[in-house]
Amino acid sequence: MNDFDPSEVWSRAIILVDMNAFFASVEQLDNPALRGRPVVVTNGEEGSCIITSSYEARAYGIKTGMRLREAKKLCPQLIRCSGRSKRYSEISKRIMAALHTITPDVEVFSVDEAFLDVTGCQRLHGHPIKIAQMTQKIVYDVSGLPCSVGLSGDKTTAKYAAELKKPNGFTVIHPAEAKKILEPVPVNMLCGIGKGTTRFLAQHGVYTCGDMQKLPISVLAKRFGNLGRRIWAMCQGADPDPVSTVVNPPKSMSHSKVLPPGTRDREVILTYLMHMSEKLASRMRRHQLQAQEYEITLRLKSGDKIQEGLKLIAPSHDGRELFNLAESVVKNHWRKQVVSLVRIVALDPQPMNQQLDFLVETNPKREAINKAVDAINNAYGDFTISPARLLKKSKTPDVISPAWKPKGPRETV
Amino acid sequence: MKFKIKREDLLKPLQIVLGAVERKQTLPILSNILLSTKTHFLVLAATDMEVEMQAKVTLTEPAEPGEITIPARKMMDICRTLSAENHLEFSISQHQLLLKSGRSRFSLSTLPASEFPKVEEIPGDIEFNIKNKELRYLLESVNFAVAQQDVRNYLNGMLLEINTNTLKTVATDGHRLALSVISAEQEFHKKGQFIIPRKGITEMLRLLEDPEKTSTLTLTQNHLKMVVDQYTFTSKFIDARFPDYERVIPKNVDKEITLERDVLKDALTRVSVLSNEKYRGIRLQFRADLFVISANNPENEEAEEEIPVSYSGEEFDIGFNVSYLLEALAALPEGKVKLSLMGVGGSLLIESLTDPNNIHVVMPMRL
Repeated sequence: MNDFDPSEVWSRAIILVDMNAFFASVEQLDNPALRGRPVVVTNGEEGSCIITSSYEARAYGIKTGMRLREAKKLCPQLIRCSGRSKRYSEISKRIMAALHTITPDVEVFSVDEAFLDVTGCQRLHGHPIKIAQMTQKIVYDVSGLPCSVGLSGDKTTAKYAAELKKPNGFTVIHPAEAKKILEPVPVNMLCGIGKGTTRFLAQHGVYTCGDMQKLPISVLAKRFGNLGRRIWAMCQGADPDPVSTVVNPPKSMSHSKVLPPGTRDREVILTYLMHMSEKLASRMRRHQLQAQEYEITLRLKSGDKIQEGLKLIAPSHDGRELFNLAESVVKNHWRKQVVSLVRIVALDPQPMNQQLDFLVETNPKREAINKAVDAINNAYGDFTISPARLLKKSKTPDVISPAWKPKGPRETV
Repeated sequence: MKFKIKREDLLKPLQIVLGAVERKQTLPILSNILLSTKTHFLVLAATDMEVEMQAKVTLTEPAEPGEITIPARKMMDICRTLSAENHLEFSISQHQLLLKSGRSRFSLSTLPASEFPKVEEIPGDIEFNIKNKELRYLLESVNFAVAQQDVRNYLNGMLLEINTNTLKTVATDGHRLALSVISAEQEFHKKGQFIIPRKGITEMLRLLEDPEKTSTLTLTQNHLKMVVDQYTFTSKFIDARFPDYERVIPKNVDKEITLERDVLKDALTRVSVLSNEKYRGIRLQFRADLFVISANNPENEEAEEEIPVSYSGEEFDIGFNVSYLLEALAALPEGKVKLSLMGVGGSLLIESLTDPNNIHVVMPMRL
């Protein structure tokens, strides 16, 4: 695999970096006593669901999503760590910054995965295989963590390659061989082909990527549009999707939190809503965004939900205004049901104070308060100062979102 | 109830009345149309509880009086394609409306007329006649600035203001404001401010097709009634106070330029292609004897247009939503327009030199 013609130039070269068991690896890095031992990460002390497990734990058959109690049965000496989202986010940012020293064309796919388009730096750095080796080394150098690297001529094949060998894997699928290598691979092994698509393809006699050649592209285009055309191409080792460096402005921003089991206390529900309102508002302020429409959801234990979209007179990012909306939802719709989760979504956030309005009076006092609060919390940590009700806020830690990005409004925990 | 009518006599009134019917209804009676007959005429009516439209049609053959309600859209869809040759014959049998025409027969479900919500007749405080052309001008030159589903309910309608000898309309969504005024043919003894809801305006405009005809308007505390030909339209007012619009209009403007409406409109239209698709921001640059319009978008594309003008004031830049500027210009007649401001960060006043009775104010956007 590592024999290559150094003068060869690929017409497209894409690298996928996948941090192996990222959260668990960080725990083992920070605490040497955990190295070589089965470790799982849960959401805080109370979290019972496994978010990530180390390779030592995986050897016992432990998987992400498994309950801690089940896992302990498989491996009694299992070590549980509370997730530290801030720390993971910090290391991820460091890794992503290092990847940018190789090429500016980096797409942060999630907190622990990134695509690099190195097509344009073959003259600078040499053969793609050399660049991929360099990438793996740079990641280890800046983080001390192992990663798996996949290299091919398109994103989907590179990702498939990286999945083949873990941990610390290094897999190259030459673009010219991609189509042939994918032929016997079941379609659902490719990233982006979910249950629905797999079922649709099976109905049309497509089980492996090779079967796709029998299906006209129009069949997929008719059912899935452009995404369908992409799926057709990516099964043949020619995913056209570019490595995208632009992070689109968010279509919505939200925060949600699970309530203690059996909560039907109005005050507790309001406290959680205020917590989410303040958190969302301060994140919008940090990024100079505002939103006029919000969606407030109370998920009920019964499985139903109370949900309402509400509009403010003008765009805002004041936690108090958000909380007033949330409070009105409780007042108008909540009838003492047991609430399991609350969520506040800011719909269509936009740059602040963009369009001026004749009739809306700004409230300089609230703006000044928010500014002071933000300054204090920036210096001393989130919620150092907050409305008094939040003295009683939940202590369960924050969860890292799948849409996490190293900068901009998506950089949040 | 039993009557006979030519398709042409029914089609147009039916179409007009149908405008009052909301597409989606929770109350079944509101998707129905009321038919009531007297010996020599038929009245069609529909309502959404906010507005009501009535049409009176003279019958050439005597009818058997009665009243009933039937599904409005089904009725329309059937009548639309019936042959024009034959008369339509309506009758009721066992709570069904029977419609016969040539060799076509239909039987439609009905609801009793007694369930149909009636708009109460209140004697009007103010009554006047107005040329359709003038009323149309008042409504059309500001209609586009009415807010859409704003939390501030009073903005989801148009202000109609009656003064001693003028009629004025004003609409604003907070970002821009449009105002038009005409002198009335008569003197009013009462002054008043009324907010006509968005749907009411749309329906009124549908009745103003013929510019030479005259409408009769009657205003009460909470209703407007408008009679044109065979049609009677009623709308509730929005029960709220309209904001003080005078405050919004720049008074002591100290910067102004004058240019051809079409030159400005075309330049803005071209520049708008490369503005941010979502926020539509453009930059206006006031320079010595030069007016520059520019825009750029997240794809790093740029547009710039220079228009020579006469200007010697302070040089400055200001941003606007280009759609607001274009909509205001579209409401003004051809010819020269004047753009003026007070200070360098305030709202922009847009006026026409050919028609001083329609003005527009647009609030800036931060760039």
